[in-house]
Amino acid sequence: MAAHSDSGRTTEQIVSQFLSKALHAILAARIPYIHGPTPPPSRHPRKRDRWFHLALGDPPPALEHPSGLIPNGVMEPLVVDILLSPRDDPTMPEAIVERWVAQCEAPAPWSPLHSPAETSSNSFLVKRTYKKSIILLRSIYSVLRLLPAQRVFKMLCASNQSYNHDLTYRVSSFAEPFSRKEEAEFQYHCFAPVETQSGQLAVSVQYRPSLSQFNLEISSLLPPMLITDYVGSPAADPMRAFPSSPSERTGTRSSTSFPLRGSQHGQPSTSAPASAPVFFNRPHSWTGGPSEVPSNRAQHPNHPPTGSYRKPAFNFDEFKFSPPFYMSPTPSPPKFSGSYMQSPLRSETAPVSIPQSGSSKVKVLRSPNLSDPTRNFLPPPSPRSARTTDPSSQDSDSRSFRRPDGLRTSDGYSNMYGTPKGLKDGRDDSGRFSLSGSPRFTFSRSSSRISVPDDLDDPDFSYPFAVDDVDSSDSQARSNDGKEVSDFGHASSSHKSQDAAVGVLVHMLRTAAPLRDSTYSSQSSKSELQEEGLGSTSSFFMSRKASDALEELQSYKSIKEMLLSQSKGKLH
Amino acid sequence: MNCETCQLKELELDPAEIRDVLRCVLHTIFFHRALGLVRPKDVDCELFEITYVQCGDAELEKKIDEKIEQFVAWSEKHPNRKSQVCLSFYEVKSKQSSWFGIKVERQHWEHWIVNVNVHPIHPPKSSFLNTREKVLEETSTRRSALETSVREVLFQIIKFANEKQEHIPPITNSEVVSFPYEITTPR
Repeated sequence: MAAHSDSGRTTEQIVSQFLSKALHAILAARIPYIHGPTPPPSRHPRKRDRWFHLALGDPPPALEHPSGLIPNGVMEPLVVDILLSPRDDPTMPEAIVERWVAQCEAPAPWSPLHSPAETSSNSFLVKRTYKKSIILLRSIYSVLRLLPAQRVFKMLCASNQSYNHDLTYRVSSFAEPFSRKEEAEFQYHCFAPVETQSGQLAVSVQYRPSLSQFNLEISSLLPPMLITDYVGSPAADPMRAFPSSPSERTGTRSSTSFPLRGSQHGQPSTSAPASAPVFFNRPHSWTGGPSEVPSNRAQHPNHPPTGSYRKPAFNFDEFKFSPPFYMSPTPSPPKFSGSYMQSPLRSETAPVSIPQSGSSKVKVLRSPNLSDPTRNFLPPPSPRSARTTDPSSQDSDSRSFRRPDGLRTSDGYSNMYGTPKGLKDGRDDSGRFSLSGSPRFTFSRSSSRISVPDDLDDPDFSYPFAVDDVDSSDSQARSNDGKEVSDFGHASSSHKSQDAAVGVLVHMLRTAAPLRDSTYSSQSSKSELQEEGLGSTSSFFMSRKASDALEELQSYKSIKEMLLSQSKGKLH
Repeated sequence: MNCETCQLKELELDPAEIRDVLRCVLHTIFFHRALGLVRPKDVDCELFEITYVQCGDAELEKKIDEKIEQFVAWSEKHPNRKSQVCLSFYEVKSKQSSWFGIKVERQHWEHWIVNVNVHPIHPPKSSFLNTREKVLEETSTRRSALETSVREVLFQIIKFANEKQEHIPPITNSEVVSFPYEITTPR
């Protein structure tokens, strides 16, 4: 009798531990984050793990004391319902997707187990019971991975998205019978029972073969995540400033770009709620203290989207979304590229005023508009016949330099040049421009004086190639095309050596207003000269020497260097 | 002692599916017969949406992979043939020393026969009527059917492992794989 009672207690202990371990296995395979935010660390198997030779780790708090699950003894059935509960719609009822029933049924009267007299076989029976329980537990563990709910469990655990359903559970000792309709929706799997002294330990499961009817989708309540360092943001481009940065308003850290990292690993974020929305918003029954029977739901109420769930004030369409894992700090193309382009140019070319000398009878190259910063980079205009040749006629208040004649005689250049505003009167047919600014270079020609002041800080300085009225010897209009071609050749050679600066000048000239006066056209230079009675200029051009051209070339080179140095200085 | 034999349902495999399927089947058998202390490890199949359980023993995994590679090598040399992979558990009954050495007698108590039919499954040739989408659909259908068959085999293993337990000898050691075994592949 004593042996029987001992074996009976042993059997009862085996059954009790079996039920506890089976429940542990079921909940661990069905309820996300059953162990709380931090998964239990792997460690050496404890005594609890050695039961049935299956190390499952620490049980959930509610399973610390198995006796609490079956207060009425091992003969009480253990019913575990796995439910799929909608999150967004509280009116929708939760649905049972699996029902596990484990119970120790009393042995039949004709069963040898019913007779307590055979004590010699009790130990054998206990050993056999224990061995079969090991295999049964392994089978339960395997079947849990093969049922359809396993896929849902993996989705809820692995994904950093919040779905519209949650897996919850309900443990009871009474199985509420299904209706006929529900019964038809379930499939049944019964494990081979294990004979024990207390009866037959039977485990069965009813499960839905398909869960497609529940439309498991990503919850729409999850607001878009704030990406603070998206491409083009102030965080990515410090040069740009936004009027109101969402991160500044909310105070969230940049890790909100990885909002569910903590929840994915089962660890809630300790920062603002914005950083761990999913974990705290996912209701499941396994929350609360150890003594709490895990049958309630929604321990953590669904937090309204207030933390990081705030709506951005700006339009998302303006920005490029990038996955939060792939956020690259590469700056976007500057939005205000124009301004960026213009500012260094503006620094390079200060406004230059062209003297509006009406007495000048020498053609001058049209200069960029002194007041229009966009015209700072136009190449020098073609010469104007109205310019005077007197060097003293140069605007004393303006910096000027002479342009090579070639620049003003070409048809191509004439097309590129526009009539700067307010420069009509200041043009000099001699090809000189007046610079109200302060170019950093000076050069002179033997026959014509082109002076470029050194001081470029003059706010009136707008473009580098505005030249004052050149000397009369320089401002003579071209009389023949051959000369024009040669001059154009000089101009092209100097032009080529000032790649960037000339390009800017071309842009200036293009945007400049067209010259009304046709005298700046190279093709009409001759006619203009004739019209203005500048026949004497032809002799002037004839007398020009190569040395003059070389001097002009050198002047243009120095202008180029000045422009480049100015641009570098502004950019830095 | 009786020797139980479980003939598993035949699986039609493409050569590329051999490893995944055999690994899944063999580990499931071992999980039900390696009665030592195990720390189960969930493993997802590469080609199917099936999660099976391994015992967590590196040595066992290595041996299983070796045998699978042997079978793969054999199937490459003998394509389009039905074959079997046999997992047997035995007991060392006695050791008899003789003139030729120590003779070890093995008494098998369980055989698991994994029936496979390996043949390359060629997709239908693209023709006027066969579009790429259709080929993919047919491949997907075949793969889905194979997944169903693998699930049936796994449930067959679980059912057999639970129903047939009387012949299992007592556990004599504390190792993960508590019983000696051998995996036989065709040669």
